[in-house]
Amino acid sequence: MIKHIFKMIWNKKKQNSLLIVEILLSFMVIFGVFSYGLNAYSNYATPMGINYKQVWAISYNHTLDTKSADSVTMVYENLLNNIKAMPQVIDAGYHSNNIPFSTNHMSGGLKYKDEVIYYINGYDVDQNFLKVTGATMASGRWYNKADAAQRGKIVVINQFLKEKMFGKEDAIGKTFGNAEGKDPVKIIGVVNSIKQEGDYQKLSYGRYNLHDTAAYKWMGKILVKVAPGSGADFEGKLYKLMANTLRKSNIEIEHLDNKLTAYNKFTVVPLIIMSIVAGFLIINVALGIFGVLWYNINKRRGEIGLRRAVGATGNGVSQQLVYEALVLTTLSLVVGTFFAVQFPLLHVFDLPAIVYVKAMLSAIVFIYLLVLVCSLYPGKQAAAVYPAVALHEE
Amino acid sequence: MIKLQNIQKVYRTSTVETLALNSINLDVAKGEFLSIMGPSGCGKSTLLNIMGLLDNPSGGTINIADQTIDKFSDKQLAQFRNSKLGFIFQSYHLINDLQVLDNVELPLLYRDSTAKERKALASEALEKVGLSNRMKHFPTQLSGGQRQRVAIARAIVGNPSIILADEPTGNLDSAMGNEVMDILINLNRNEGTTIVMVTHDENMAHKTHRLVRLFDGSQVQ
Repeated sequence: MIKHIFKMIWNKKKQNSLLIVEILLSFMVIFGVFSYGLNAYSNYATPMGINYKQVWAISYNHTLDTKSADSVTMVYENLLNNIKAMPQVIDAGYHSNNIPFSTNHMSGGLKYKDEVIYYINGYDVDQNFLKVTGATMASGRWYNKADAAQRGKIVVINQFLKEKMFGKEDAIGKTFGNAEGKDPVKIIGVVNSIKQEGDYQKLSYGRYNLHDTAAYKWMGKILVKVAPGSGADFEGKLYKLMANTLRKSNIEIEHLDNKLTAYNKFTVVPLIIMSIVAGFLIINVALGIFGVLWYNINKRRGEIGLRRAVGATGNGVSQQLVYEALVLTTLSLVVGTFFAVQFPLLHVFDLPAIVYVKAMLSAIVFIYLLVLVCSLYPGKQAAAVYPAVALHEE
Repeated sequence: MIKLQNIQKVYRTSTVETLALNSINLDVAKGEFLSIMGPSGCGKSTLLNIMGLLDNPSGGTINIADQTIDKFSDKQLAQFRNSKLGFIFQSYHLINDLQVLDNVELPLLYRDSTAKERKALASEALEKVGLSNRMKHFPTQLSGGQRQRVAIARAIVGNPSIILADEPTGNLDSAMGNEVMDILINLNRNEGTTIVMVTHDENMAHKTHRLVRLFDGSQVQ
C-alpha cells in the first residue's frame, strides 16, 4: 500500500507541490522559533554563577579635585571602608563599569600558544568580588591583598574561557599573552562562569583583572551586598554617603535583580513576538493543510467510492488519506532537514550544534503531529463517504 | 447465486419520503447473465447498488453466494465485495493519476498478495480485454471503449463470481458498446461468471439470458 501511495503522490506531483512547499515553509519557521527558544532555555538552565539578590550597584563618576594619586586612593579606600562599616552591608567592592547585567562591554583578545582568541570580556575587580557576588572558584584561588604587587602579571579567568583554552587540562600556573602575544600573565584561578548578560544569553569568555589601586577613578561602580530587608531608608543613607564623599558626582543606585529583569527582556520580548507570529503562522498552516485535505477528499469522492467498492473499508480509506498526508510531510521534511542541517554546518547565528539538532527533531515531531491532527478529521469524513452516493456523483 | 427477498428502499428527508424500490424479489442463478431495464429513476441503479452491497435496503433480505448479508460489519462487507463482486460503471471510475496496470491492480491491494502476483494477475486481466499493450498508459490517454475495457479488467482481476455492471455501454458508441458487450458475454460463457447488467439499450439487453424490467421501483417483468 505504501508503494501505491508513493505512486499516487508522484503521479500527482504538480497538485501536491503547493502542499509540500507549505509544509516545508512551516517546518523552517518552526525550526527557527524552536532553535531560538531552545537556545534561550539551554542558557536559562545554565547556572547563573552569582547570587545577585541583595546586590546593589552604585554608579559614580570621578569628581575629586585633588591631583594627588595617593589622596585619591585614600578617598576611595575610605569610601569603601565607610560603606562596609554600615550595619546593613555584608560586603562591598569596586568593579569596572561592565558589572553583571549591564550593557557595558570591554573586550579584547589573547594569545595562547599559537591560537588567538577574541571577544574576551575583561573585568576589573578587587579582592572583594567573590564575597559580594557569591561567585565561586572552579580551581585555584581568587585575589588577595598581597596580589597588588603582582597586578598585571597574574589573572583569574572564567571556566568557559578555561575550557576553550585548555579543555580538561589544569589551567593553574599556565601563562598567556595579549592578542599580540605580549605582556604574559599567569593564571592563578578559574572562577565558575557568570551569565553576565542575563538568564537567557550564552556564557562568554571572561578574564578578571585585579584593579589598579592607583586608578580608582576609572572603576565607576561599587557592588554592595546588603542584608535582607535593606530598603529605601538604607538606600538613602548610602546615597548620602556617596554624595558627600564624591561631591558633584552623578550617583545612581541600582539593584542587580532589577537589572537582570530588564536585561532578560532583550530575549523574552523577541521570543514572545516570534511565538505569537509563529502561532498565527501555525494556525494558518493548520487551516491550509486542513483545507487542502478537505478539498482533496471532496475532489476524490468518486475515487473513494470506487475504493470502497473494490474492497477498502471506511477506516482503510481514512488511513490511506492520513498516510498520504504523512508521506507528503515526509517529502517536505526531507527537503527541510537538508536546509536545516546547513545551520549547524555553516555556524549560522553561532548557536551550539546540539540546539539545532534538538530544534530540528522537535520541529519534525511538531509538523508530523500538526499534519496528523489536521488530516484526522478529513480522513474521518472520507470514511463516512457513502460509496453508492459517491459513485453516482461522478 | 443472488437471492433478493422483498427488498425495499425508501429515501427519507425531513419532508419527503420516496419509495425507490418496492418489494423486489429476484433470483439470479449461478452463471446467469441478467439485464435490468427501465426508465430513468425507476430504481435500476439502486437495485444494483443493493446487490453490490454498496447501499443498504430499507427492508428485505439479501443472500449472495449462500451467505445472508444482514449483519455484516463494514470490514466483512469490504472483504465480501473484494472477493466475490466485480463492478463496472458507466463512467468507468478509473483513477486518472494511476497507469492502466495500477488501476487494474487496485482490488488486489485490498487482499493479501505480493506485488509480483498483482502484476501477473493484472497483466493477465488486461490481456483478456485486449489491452496488454496499454499497461503503462494513463486513462486519459485511452478512448472511451478502451477505458471501459480497463474497468472490465479491474472487475475481473480478482476472479469474482459475480459482476455487476451499471450501464457499461452507456457512454460508448455502438461499435465500442458491442465490443464491450462481447467481452462480457465471453466472460459469462467461458468463465461462468454471473453478470447482472443495468442498461437502457434494448439490443444489449436482448443479448443476455434474461431481462427484468422495473417501473417506479417495482418489478414489472
